[in-house]
Amino acid sequence: MAGEFLILNIVIWIGLYLIVGLSLNIEYGFGGIPNFGRAFAVLMGAIAVGGIVNRILMMIFGVSGQIIDASGVVKTTVNGLIAQNPLIGIALLIFGLLVAAILGAVTGALFILPSAKLSEDYLAITLLAISEVAFMVSYYHPDIIGGYYGVTVPNVLNFIPGEQRLFVFSLIIVGIALLVYYIVNRMLTSPYGRLLKAMRENDAVVRAYGKDIMNLRIRTVAVGSAIAALAGALYSMFSVNVIATNFSRVEWTFYPFLMILLGGLGNTRGVFVGVSAFVVARIFLITYKFEIVQALGLPFDPVWLEYILFGIVMLVILVYRPEGLLREKPVMTSPIKKVLEKRKVKAKAVSAK
Amino acid sequence: MSVLEGAIIYSNLLVLLAIGLTMTYITTGVPNFAQGSFAVFGSYLALTLLRFYGIHPYLSIPVALIFGGVLGLVIYIGVLKPLISRGAQIVILMIATLAVDLILLGIIGAYSDYLGTVTKKSATRFIFTPYDFPVGFLSGIFVVSVLVIALILFGLYLLLYKTKFGVAMRASMENPDLAEIMGVNVEITRTVSWILSAGLAATAGVLLPFRQEIVPMTGGIIIVSIFASSIVGGLGSIFGALLGGYIVGMSESFVTFQFSEVFGPAVLVYSRVISLIVLVIMLILAPKGIVSIKWRRIKWLASFSS
Repeated sequence: MAGEFLILNIVIWIGLYLIVGLSLNIEYGFGGIPNFGRAFAVLMGAIAVGGIVNRILMMIFGVSGQIIDASGVVKTTVNGLIAQNPLIGIALLIFGLLVAAILGAVTGALFILPSAKLSEDYLAITLLAISEVAFMVSYYHPDIIGGYYGVTVPNVLNFIPGEQRLFVFSLIIVGIALLVYYIVNRMLTSPYGRLLKAMRENDAVVRAYGKDIMNLRIRTVAVGSAIAALAGALYSMFSVNVIATNFSRVEWTFYPFLMILLGGLGNTRGVFVGVSAFVVARIFLITYKFEIVQALGLPFDPVWLEYILFGIVMLVILVYRPEGLLREKPVMTSPIKKVLEKRKVKAKAVSAK
Repeated sequence: MSVLEGAIIYSNLLVLLAIGLTMTYITTGVPNFAQGSFAVFGSYLALTLLRFYGIHPYLSIPVALIFGGVLGLVIYIGVLKPLISRGAQIVILMIATLAVDLILLGIIGAYSDYLGTVTKKSATRFIFTPYDFPVGFLSGIFVVSVLVIALILFGLYLLLYKTKFGVAMRASMENPDLAEIMGVNVEITRTVSWILSAGLAATAGVLLPFRQEIVPMTGGIIIVSIFASSIVGGLGSIFGALLGGYIVGMSESFVTFQFSEVFGPAVLVYSRVISLIVLVIMLILAPKGIVSIKWRRIKWLASFSS
């Protein structure tokens, strides 16, 4: 059973991080927007589920009081209903994801606005500062998502017996991740994706062709943040509770950057490769941490070892393989294919002579 | 400790950190996200000297300055220099400093666990206030922090304005390409700026536990205030960092104090929100910082309205 649990755990985390990695790849890999506040969008997804959906349920069932206690009451009531009628659970899952995506898109679009005037380094600092402060406030302030006590969330799969829940939930997460992968891939091979790459390389040229850079940036970050918020919402509904400490900068900003840099910027397949490699390494590290500590005789908590290790991995990638495992390739549109074909014919003709 | 006294102490420490951040930004063009962890490195150095050898934290300031400098040197030579020589973009350099921050956090955290088991006394959170002593009617940390900042500013002034090396350094800060053509070794000025920056940060770190509790994560928490100070000052001017540090430090201390009078002490944890608000206001009004504002022009415009 332990092995099965390990595999499901890996699958779930690949799904979650694939969603976040894809969202970051749209913004940074394609658009060149250094969103150092990725964790903020993920936190917004968690707030959508723990803060907003919970409050709506509180209103529906007439539960009053502090969110920390009230969420417990709501959970018991709603869990009972879901056990009788699976449709309520599925509706709640979809509704939660929808609220998360909207909240993510709105906050993302709002916080990219200062970038109208800022260069990329200032922008990165500002986004990181916003994300850090939002993390701190939602940790200290008990009225948002319960502060350091956290809030509980109804189990949307309460109609499924306990031992199969993990399996079904991993299917749901993988399904949504694949859907996101398909949509993002379609989106980025479309003219919009090439426009983003053009903006990354030289925004003055894009502006000269009559495109509104700011509009493009706002749309891109709104889409990226909406996708990242899905991961936050899914994670919250999977773990049936929301607590701010789960949405730290290391886990949801630094690690996603590590994954997309490892896989290779600017290509969706690279994101998948990077995420898989990272998640497998990390889950093994977490699962066998006590064995590792004992074997090496470390006098400290293994979480610190994880930080040191992944920090070093990041530096090694940046110095020795900045293009990642998979290189970025041009999108093969039909005009490009024609040009390449012509070149081939020409080359043949030259060699025949 | 009065509010004003506390605010000045905090601002002094912010100034030390912001000057360092600004210096490396000017020479290498990268905002250093590890600056907060440089400070925590200094805090743990002082704690180590205190626990093992009973050295008073104030006496470990010179040691922190030196060891901090070594840390800065190692990070510049080991991480940034190879990346710069490969022509890495600014965002890549920033990600590298984030990685350095994470590695430092890991090392400091691991070390705090180790120190705790060896000395049989928790080192994951600590504070130095019990070791402070009053000087006249002022607190010791106030006197020491003012002295340290005065000495360091004087030293920086001498280094930058009275030595040939300082002239070269200022030249390569203002226009690295031109300075290089004129025979200035830009590499050395970059290295020195990292040594100084980390040294100053570690010094601030020794004094920080007199003002607030230190945990291994503290670096990640204070980084918002450090960046706010530097950006208010314009990120490109050492004098600006000095002004910015006091503006952000004072507004954080006083605004949160005023709010706590009205809303109760629970608001005190939100002082970082004030930094963020100051940062955003500054970015909207004058993105190039306070030193870029043309006061004469504002006066001129104001003369029409009256």
